[in-house]
Amino acid sequence: MRGVRLGLPILLGYVPVGAAFGVAATAAGFTVAQATSCSALVLAGAGQFIGLAALQSSANLTAALVATGVVNLHYLLFSATMSPRTRETPRWQQLLIAFTLTDETFAVNIDDSLEGRADGWSMLAVGAVSWLGWTLGTLAGALAGSAIGDPARWGVGFAMPAMFTALLVGQVTGARTLVAAVLAAAFALVLAAALPGQWPVVLAAVVAASVMTAVPR
Amino acid sequence: MTPALAWGLVAGMAITNIVVRGAPMLVMSRLRLPSVVERWLGYIPVSVMAAIVAVQVLRPDGRYLPLAHNPYLFATLPTAVVYRYTRSFLGAVLVGIASFVVLRYLLG
Repeated sequence: MRGVRLGLPILLGYVPVGAAFGVAATAAGFTVAQATSCSALVLAGAGQFIGLAALQSSANLTAALVATGVVNLHYLLFSATMSPRTRETPRWQQLLIAFTLTDETFAVNIDDSLEGRADGWSMLAVGAVSWLGWTLGTLAGALAGSAIGDPARWGVGFAMPAMFTALLVGQVTGARTLVAAVLAAAFALVLAAALPGQWPVVLAAVVAASVMTAVPR
Repeated sequence: MTPALAWGLVAGMAITNIVVRGAPMLVMSRLRLPSVVERWLGYIPVSVMAAIVAVQVLRPDGRYLPLAHNPYLFATLPTAVVYRYTRSFLGAVLVGIASFVVLRYLLG
């Protein structure tokens, strides 16, 4: 099944990061069940780490939820971008696709739909494989604790940059998308010096897309 | 960390996440969007991916690496070439990781 195959590189990247979350969560006082449920129900990489850190430092649930909510605001944009491509998808599938919407599944499904092949089932499969990697990685990390050591030494730290590089190559289909890419990259680098988290990416994308929409063909 | 706080965080994050990720898709896919909005949304994916790659590759740990000693930057080249010519997503990622490990050793 194509969706499963497309999801495998994401799984490869998620297992070690999920494991790192499992280690961090148990170190912060979560049980194995709490850490694993968190990943299984939330599926938000940076959002989970930030929620955990905020809860640990402030012991204030509202502050932790606001912090993770802000980090995850960029999903509003991703979800909106997915909407024209899920018009034919039944509502229950849309809900599951939305539940598994991450930076990585977004990128993979958008690339796949650009080639006209993505449908509800393939997007579900991409999401399911990614969810499995994230959840099982967390479980392994929570069980093993700090005995795992630093997964970065295996080079998996490049799994996500490699994935986005390949996806970017797939998205650049002509002169206009190339210009959009260069603009967005430049804006993001400027903004990254000043803004935290995913804000540089979101703002750069909004500005680049607006410029390209405003400039006539 | 009390159980109530831990489970509260899990439940709260689960709810905020599904609302943020689900609402735009479920609502907007049922609307007829103005063509200018569709055109704008069409430029979002390439822009998002370029922005992510730029930040992840040039500022891997939140700061700039010297260009000549940046294995992330150079490892994107074989990754992009493999994807461009094979269209194999998994293949590109595996080649990327392998080149990264070698480059990190050479440039480190």
